[in-house]
Amino acid sequence: MFGQIAEQVPLFFNYHNLVFLLQAAGRTLAMTIIGCTVGLVCGFLIAVLRRSLSIWLLPLRLIGIAYVEFFRRIPFLVILFIVLFVIEPLVPGASLLFIATVSICLLSTAFLSEVIRAGLESVPPQQIEGASALNFNAIQTLFLVVLPQSWRVILPPAAAFIVMFIKDTSLASQLGVIELTFAGKMLVNRGFSPLLGFGAVLLCYFALSYPLSRLAAYLEKRLASP
Amino acid sequence: MNYTFQFTEVWRELPYLLGGAAVTLQIAFITFWCGAFIGIFGALAKVYGGPISKRVTSYYVTFFTNTPALVQVFLLYYALPDAGVLLSSMAAVLVGLTLNAGAYLTEILRAGVVSVRVSEMEAATALGMSRLQLLRYVMLPHIAKTIYAPLSNFFVWLVLGSSLAALFGVEELTGRAINVSTASLRSIETFTIVAMIYVVLTVLASGSLALVGRLAFRVKAKVF
Repeated sequence: MFGQIAEQVPLFFNYHNLVFLLQAAGRTLAMTIIGCTVGLVCGFLIAVLRRSLSIWLLPLRLIGIAYVEFFRRIPFLVILFIVLFVIEPLVPGASLLFIATVSICLLSTAFLSEVIRAGLESVPPQQIEGASALNFNAIQTLFLVVLPQSWRVILPPAAAFIVMFIKDTSLASQLGVIELTFAGKMLVNRGFSPLLGFGAVLLCYFALSYPLSRLAAYLEKRLASP
Repeated sequence: MNYTFQFTEVWRELPYLLGGAAVTLQIAFITFWCGAFIGIFGALAKVYGGPISKRVTSYYVTFFTNTPALVQVFLLYYALPDAGVLLSSMAAVLVGLTLNAGAYLTEILRAGVVSVRVSEMEAATALGMSRLQLLRYVMLPHIAKTIYAPLSNFFVWLVLGSSLAALFGVEELTGRAINVSTASLRSIETFTIVAMIYVVLTVLASGSLALVGRLAFRVKAKVF
């Protein structure tokens, strides 16, 4: 077994394979970055919406709660299939990468909204009462009082979840998006040893997510409230 | 764009799908307990072990928590036959998910091991507590408070994570959903119902775990 692998190593690490893997890693990264950006923005909106007290926003609030609970409680693979079958008739000719990115956005919105909500709730209510005593409106309270105190609670778990999304994108290989896992499958199908193909892919994933998880650990230590 | 939803064909397959849910729970159970077994040793090694065992466990944890479980199982399923070990798809999924869960559980359990303070143990011994009393009244409350909520969250995460077994042909909930949708061609309906089953499954799991935690360990865990 190892003799065969040793034979394949020089063949495996040629220019084209490396470019192929790098492109695949780029797709994985692109899906994660878009997903997390959309997730942070939409998750923030849902989290803020869930804190609002106005009776007019009640239906929206209920939809927000239902959305978050639903998407946090079904596997990413099922989200992928649902998005695939819903988007295909709606947008004919949508690329698989687009479908996978939409699924990641849906997932990350749900999880990051929960993280942000926990962060916003960590601010003591006296602070908000103080702000309303000073005649701050809702937006001023949010941006001048709540957010400056809660971002340090939000950031560390958010970074940890982003690591989770990088790993979740591997399931998009099932649709046929040429990201890292699918690239590994293709290399193995081309005749390279599975240990070599999937091993290289594992190392690529590790290179993507290890710095981020170190950052998460560092932030947790650094931003911990004294 | 007009699509008529037809749930009748999928409803007929509901018992079949629920059987898949049972398989999903089995996978989650087995991997959770085997992973916890690894996790206990990992956590003890990480806190009390010598320099070598500390380093080995931390390599294990970093590697398995920073790479996707799917590729780990791929590696087991396709690379091990080269070494002469043939795993069935179910076995490969169980081994892969167990190793993966072991890494996460090492981290969770480590927090529990750290939460017991030596000074408190000494105080308990000074009060003349027996070993059993020490475990019951001093160690357990601390450990339960730190690890119960993350453990039950992790179990729910495993229920969802076990869906990757479908990609290896294991007939758990997602795998059976794929079967039903290819047979009936009612994909949206099938996956909507399966998503609902997953929601019910995880709500039941986290609800009952929160109840057990409250009754047995006086831990207040959130369901939602």
